Amino acid sequence: MDIVVQSILNGALMGCVYALITLGLSLIFGVMNVVNFAHGDFVMLSMYFSFLIGSTWGVDAVFTPAITLPLLFIFGIAAYYLLIDGTLRQKYVTQIAVTVGLMTLLRAIAQLVWKAQPRALPYSVIQGSFHIGAYNFMFSRLISAAVSIVVIGGVSLFLSKTWPGRAIRAASDDLDAASLMGVSYRSIYALAFGLGSALTAIAGGLLMTFQQVDPTMGLRFGLLSWCVLALAGLGSIPGLLISGLIVGAAESISMTLWDPRARSLVVYLIFILALWIRPRGLFGRK
Amino acid sequence: MSNRWKAINRALLGVALTVALAVPLLIGSNQYNLVLVTTVLLYAVLATAWNIIGGMAGQLDLAAFAYLGLGAFTSGTLLIRWNISPWLGMILGGLVATGFAVLVGFPLFRFRVREVWYALTSAALVEVLKVAFVMWEEVGGPVERYLPYYDFSLYHLRFGTYLPYYYILLAFLVVAVLVNRHLSRTRLGFYLRALGEDEDAAEVLGVDARTCKLKALMIYAFIVGVVGAIYSCMYGFIHPNFFSSPASTEVAILGIVGGMGITYGPLVAAIFLVSMREFLRANLGGHLESLYLAIYAVVLIVIALFRPQGIATFLQDGYHWVISKVTRSDHVVKADSTGV
Amino acid sequence: MSSKPILQVYNLTKRFGNLVAVHNVSLEIAEGKIVGLIGPNGAGKTTLFNSITGLHMPDAGRVVFKGTDITGAPPHTICKMGMSRTFQVTRAFTGMTVEETVRVGAYNRHGEGDVMEKVEQVLAFCRLDEIRHQKCSDLGLASLRRVELARAMATEPDLLLLDEAGAGLTATELSELMGILRRLNEEQGVTLCVVEHVMQMVMGLCERIFVLDAGSLIAEGTPEEVGNDPRVIEAYLGEGAVR
Repeated sequence: MDIVVQSILNGALMGCVYALITLGLSLIFGVMNVVNFAHGDFVMLSMYFSFLIGSTWGVDAVFTPAITLPLLFIFGIAAYYLLIDGTLRQKYVTQIAVTVGLMTLLRAIAQLVWKAQPRALPYSVIQGSFHIGAYNFMFSRLISAAVSIVVIGGVSLFLSKTWPGRAIRAASDDLDAASLMGVSYRSIYALAFGLGSALTAIAGGLLMTFQQVDPTMGLRFGLLSWCVLALAGLGSIPGLLISGLIVGAAESISMTLWDPRARSLVVYLIFILALWIRPRGLFGRK
Repeated sequence: MSNRWKAINRALLGVALTVALAVPLLIGSNQYNLVLVTTVLLYAVLATAWNIIGGMAGQLDLAAFAYLGLGAFTSGTLLIRWNISPWLGMILGGLVATGFAVLVGFPLFRFRVREVWYALTSAALVEVLKVAFVMWEEVGGPVERYLPYYDFSLYHLRFGTYLPYYYILLAFLVVAVLVNRHLSRTRLGFYLRALGEDEDAAEVLGVDARTCKLKALMIYAFIVGVVGAIYSCMYGFIHPNFFSSPASTEVAILGIVGGMGITYGPLVAAIFLVSMREFLRANLGGHLESLYLAIYAVVLIVIALFRPQGIATFLQDGYHWVISKVTRSDHVVKADSTGV
Repeated sequence: MSSKPILQVYNLTKRFGNLVAVHNVSLEIAEGKIVGLIGPNGAGKTTLFNSITGLHMPDAGRVVFKGTDITGAPPHTICKMGMSRTFQVTRAFTGMTVEETVRVGAYNRHGEGDVMEKVEQVLAFCRLDEIRHQKCSDLGLASLRRVELARAMATEPDLLLLDEAGAGLTATELSELMGILRRLNEEQGVTLCVVEHVMQMVMGLCERIFVLDAGSLIAEGTPEEVGNDPRVIEAYLGEGAVR
């Protein structure tokens, strides 16, 4: 029983990071109805960037987001203007196809540059663990979860209190409302894309404190974020966090109780079930 | 369409078919070339079938090799265990693939479930099936399961050379093209096109979106599942790596780049892109293999941004221009997106 | 013509979040008539249409068509039963030709054998023969309107709802449209319900008019009755005064 509880705790901590990743996806999807297929690969890219920065200049993984965050922000905006913007008038299939192309490209590049061998950074400053009772907690995971929650909270405040944030929210609800605010919808789209991508930089840096990166990470985090999004639905940030916890815990339990290879199966099952039973998500508004 | 134009059409098709039949003889006894053209044909069939769900129904399906793998494993397992001929196995493989497709499509094609969810689900489906079949030791497992080898057995669909497979796949290509054409000229095709244009407007005209999309998905999955059986015979084994994400993405890319909704589009794209890929694969060795994937991705992005109608439209326009010059007729360029 | 109701709406309410777009609307449309639905912008006319034709799920109330409850039924089922509609912003099948567009509608009641016959008939009726092979993306507004009408007609509805089909048309185009609609009603007995701002069309065609303002039905009657109704005048002028 202890093993199960430990597993749930570990999974829940990971789930906070998943929620952070999904928040980025949700921002983009909510605003422009385009799912960035490459979102999971942005996480992978962030992780690789963190690895590069960490291994080249000896920076601790946990500090790498200082560089990768603006980098991914710019990358996201560039991706929007170069790729998405031109397809907005096309068929929906074409719009998604472009992000599929981006996903494929990023994965191929990762494979070419870094090969299949996993890369990791040396132990971070936040290494180590402690016990509470029978349960073991790793600092890196704990801090990753805490930082994720703080950032999610920060984004939530940004969306409700600041002017650009409110513009994004308005665009999610209704395009006309946003144009009433006097902002061109394209700038809002670009901002959402940049912001959503920047969030992956934070997640990537955190993940590199205790994980390795390889070219399959893109698919893994892609599937995880789609699953959390399907479960949560659009419009509720607390809902996103809860869904992240659920998915993280479920993934972890499945690996402990069933088979380590079964993680993607279980995540996928949750994904399908969520879409089947409640297409707008547990907490979705539309 | 004027009768003269129709006659020219038919003549050209006849020529194309003859050329296709003669290709293996033209390229000589070089086994490598034979494998190349057969692979091109394989992807052409898959992409032409993909056109039904992608081009006509407007769903970005990324699960081609999920259905192919299911067909391969069904047929292969039946052959290995109970010596059931792949001729029967392929039908059953097609049915298994179709059944699976329905399971996936049924919840996702509901009214107002956004289309992107099907694309996401299909993308993940391939990987998940791979893991599942690796874990399923009785049927799959991490090691190849070999099909019985024969130098020439029609019953087992096993041959010492790729030559018979070439012709089998050519026959399948013809079937896939015919299915496409038939669909585009009958109700389902028109309904799918309408759905692709504007789903709400189509629904209001009596088009049952969900049923139509499901039908398209089932036809596509069946064809791909059947091809899966042939695939397993070509390779001589079954292995969970058949469930390949990059390959599935390739099929979709071929369909999109060729021209969605254009019957011959995927074939054209396959001829160019798959040849390029095989060439790269053979000449660049293992470590630069992902390069072709990167090129595919770039081609997709470029086409999506600058020529979303697909490269087959270039050929179409050229064809129409040539024909109007040759017949010197004022023939109306039909706004027919189903190709020639 | 019998005055049996072909459509009955009972206490229909539709909300979007906090906004009540349609509030407790009840109305009846008699078979074979031409009725109009008017009201200032934002009065909820299109929402009402959408709720009747299955594109929105009403929050309260019922819609009964030809005696059958169709509340919340999917649009394609409603079409099969005999109700069709056009859209306010023309939603043309831009990649298809005029003929192909009409064919989509015609498949509603016809199979491969006689679908083209129906297409011919509709094209002739709406006088779209000359442009039948043109792509919808190449058409002007007036033609697009006629195509939208044609494809809805091809489904052989008993009740046809038209959402601002007259907007943006010149006087000639307008009278052509009205002519087609009149013929449709008189020759084929199709009941029509038009949402309109163009008063000429409303007054010229409709036997009965419903007036919607801010989501509620504020008046109904003959064109003369409605035109003289003080509440109607206020709804329009009041809005005009604010602007």
